[in-house]
Amino acid sequence: MADYGLHSGTVELRSAGPIAFGPDGILFLADNAGAKIFAVDVADARPQAGPAPLDLDDVDLRVGSLLGCDAGDIAIRDMAVHPVTHNVYLSVQRGRGDSGRAVLVRVSHADGAITDVPLSGVPMAEATIADAPAEDDERLDTTLPLGDEGETFEIAGRTLKLLRRPIRTSTVTDMSYVDGVILVAGLSNEEFSSKLRRIPFPFDATGDVVASNLEIFHVSHGKWETAAPIRTFVPYDGGRAVLASYTCTPVVHFPLADLKPGAKAVGRTVAELGAMNQPLDMVSFTQDGEEHLLVANTSHGLVKIASRDIDVQEPLTDANRNIGVPRETEDLPGVVRLANLDAGHVLALQVDGDGRYHLRSLKTDAL
Amino acid sequence: MSADRSRSASVAASWSSCHGGQDCIRLSGLGNACLVRVHPASAAATGTAPPMAGDVVRDGTNLCFVPRYPFVAGTTYTVSVDGLGTVDLTRPAPPPVPTTEVVAIHPTALVVPRNLLRCYVWFSAPMSEGYAAGHVSLADATGAAMPAALLPTEHELWDPDRRRLTVLLDPARIKRGLVAHEGLGYPLRAGEPFTLVVDAGLRDAAGNPLRTGARRDYRVSADERRLVEPTGWTLDMPPAGTVGYLRVAFDRSLDHALLSRCLRVTGPDGEAVDGEVEIGPEERWWRLTPARPWTAGPHRIVVDPVLEDLAGNSVVRPFDRDLTRPAERPRSAEPVVLPFRPTIGVPASTGVPLSFRAGDGG
Repeated sequence: MADYGLHSGTVELRSAGPIAFGPDGILFLADNAGAKIFAVDVADARPQAGPAPLDLDDVDLRVGSLLGCDAGDIAIRDMAVHPVTHNVYLSVQRGRGDSGRAVLVRVSHADGAITDVPLSGVPMAEATIADAPAEDDERLDTTLPLGDEGETFEIAGRTLKLLRRPIRTSTVTDMSYVDGVILVAGLSNEEFSSKLRRIPFPFDATGDVVASNLEIFHVSHGKWETAAPIRTFVPYDGGRAVLASYTCTPVVHFPLADLKPGAKAVGRTVAELGAMNQPLDMVSFTQDGEEHLLVANTSHGLVKIASRDIDVQEPLTDANRNIGVPRETEDLPGVVRLANLDAGHVLALQVDGDGRYHLRSLKTDAL
Repeated sequence: MSADRSRSASVAASWSSCHGGQDCIRLSGLGNACLVRVHPASAAATGTAPPMAGDVVRDGTNLCFVPRYPFVAGTTYTVSVDGLGTVDLTRPAPPPVPTTEVVAIHPTALVVPRNLLRCYVWFSAPMSEGYAAGHVSLADATGAAMPAALLPTEHELWDPDRRRLTVLLDPARIKRGLVAHEGLGYPLRAGEPFTLVVDAGLRDAAGNPLRTGARRDYRVSADERRLVEPTGWTLDMPPAGTVGYLRVAFDRSLDHALLSRCLRVTGPDGEAVDGEVEIGPEERWWRLTPARPWTAGPHRIVVDPVLEDLAGNSVVRPFDRDLTRPAERPRSAEPVVLPFRPTIGVPASTGVPLSFRAGDGG
C-alpha cells in the first residue's frame, strides 16, 4: 500500500457519503461534513468463487441491528462492490445530529453476513476538498454573521462582528476512479454550478487537493445552454467518456479528453428522464458483448440504454426532444443505488412501499 | 433504570455503567459461559438480524454488555441469554426541550422573480440533517402546499456548522426547454404570492424540534433573465480621511450568501480595505465601513464573477442561455474591477456621500 501513499491512521469520518473503489481494493469515502475524501485499504483480499447472486431482504433492519438502532435510525448513503471479492460495502449514517455516526459496513457476498469495517489503525490517506478561499483571500473576513455567531472585536471605536469561517460547502454527490484520478461531482450550497473535480490519486503528500475544477455545460434541445450540478455519473467506454445525469434530469455525454483544465466542456444531451424525476445512480454493464447503461431514478423503473445508441445519438433538439436514445424501462421500482456485483450481476439497493431496503441481484443477461 | 419486561424470570438486566463509566446493560446471576446477545427489539423479532456489535465483559459478579455504538434514546432492546430467555429494556428518552429557532430567511426581498432559484434559512443552533424535506415547503396564498416546487434531494445543503440550510426550487421546472419545465411550468406564478414555511418539526442537532416555526411571504414578479452587470451599479463614495461608508447599490436583489463573499475593496497599495460589511434590506445594497480612514487615491471594488442574483444569473452567464442570442454569450470568468476614488474636499462631518454610476471611472 506504500505505493499509494497510505499510512496507518484513523479515518475520522464525520458523515457518511458516496463511496467508490479505486485501485487494489482501496475504497474512497467522501465525507461531506468534514469536507474530505479518505482512501482506505479495507483489507478484503479473500478471493471469491465465480459469479453468484446476492439477495438480502431488510438490509436496513439488519444493518440497524448490528449498529444497535431501529431501521429508521439509519440512512444508507451509498453502495460499492469490492472488485475482487465482490463483497458489498455500504456507507451508513447511524442516527442524526450530535449523536450521528458514520459507519462503513461490509455485506459478505458469500453468505450475506454483515460486519462493520474498522476505520482506526488502518492504512489510509486523506485529502481536503473544502471550497475554502485561499489563505490570503480576505473575502473570508467579509462573510457576515447572523444571530450570535461570529467574532466580536473593536474597529474605529465600534464593536463589530465578523465570521472568520467559510460557510460555503460543496457536497459530493458522486465519485468514480479512472486511471489515477478521482472524478468528483459536487453540489454547492451557494452558486449554481456544474463542477467536476479531478483529484489525482495517490493524494499529494501534504493532503492538499491538486484538483482541477471543470465547469461543464450541456445544451437542451439545441437551444439552451446551461450549467447544473451533476447528481450522478458513470465512466463509460473504457474510461474514455463520462455519462452524467443532472439534478434537472438530462443524461449528458462527455468525452473524458474534453474535460481538461481551462477548456470549456460542453456535453451532448442524449436523453431526458422526464418531469418530476430525479436521477439517483447509474451503472454500466456488458450484455451480449455490448456496453449498456442502467439509470436508477425516482419516478420510473430502471432505465436501460445501449451504449451504441448513445454513440450515434444526435444532440437532442426540439424536433427529436421526446425521443432521445432508445431506452427500455425495467419493471423494478424503488431502486436507489446500483453497482456491478460480478461478471453476471448488477446489484440493486431497492426500497419497497413500506420503506424497507433490500439488496437484489439482477442478472445482466436478463436485464 | 427503566422497567424491564422480562420473558424469563431467570434473566435480570438493567441500564448501568461499568469499567470506568462505559454505558452498558448489566446482567446479574449469569455464569461466564452464557452467550449474551442484544438486538433492537424491532430486529429481534425477525430472528435473522445480526446482534448489536459490542463486548460482553465481567464486572464483579455481573456480566455487562458494552455496545460499540451507543444505545439510542427511546429504543427498546431485547437481551437474550442462551437457554435462559429474553428481556426487553427501553432506553429512557428525555422529553424534548425546544431551544432552537429560525433567525433569518433569505432573500429578504418582498418581491422575487418568477424564476427564483434559492432561499436560505438560518438557525440559532446547529441542526440535524435528514428532516428538511418534510418540514421546509412553499405554500400558496391559501396556505396550501405547492407540490414539487422544491428540489427533492437526498443531499441537504448545509454550511459546515449546520446552521444555514440552502433551499433550491426545482431547477428542472425553471430551465427553459426541459421536459419538466414544459410539462409543469415554473414552481411560482407571476402575480401569485407564496410563503416559504419552516415548520417546528425540523430538528436541531440535539434532536429537539424548533421553538416555533417560521415563514416569509413573497410576491412574485416577472422572470429575471439578465446577467448581473456590475458596471450598472451605483456607488455612494466616501470622503477621503473619514471612516464613512462606501455603498454599492444594485439594480435588483442579489443572492445573500454570494454577496457576503463576492465583493471586496482594495486601496491604492493593492491591500484589502478591512472593515464592517453590511447588506441592505432586500439585498439591494452592500456597504463597507472601513476600519481606518479612507486614503485618497485609486481604489478598486473587486467583484467575484460567481455572484448571482435571485434567479441564478451570474456576472458570467445567465441561468440558462439562449444560444440564438449573442448578447447572452458567457463572459470572462475574471473578477470585475470597479475603480473609484474616495472624494476630496467634502467635509467629513456631513456624511453625505456622492453618487455615481460604477464603471464611470474613478
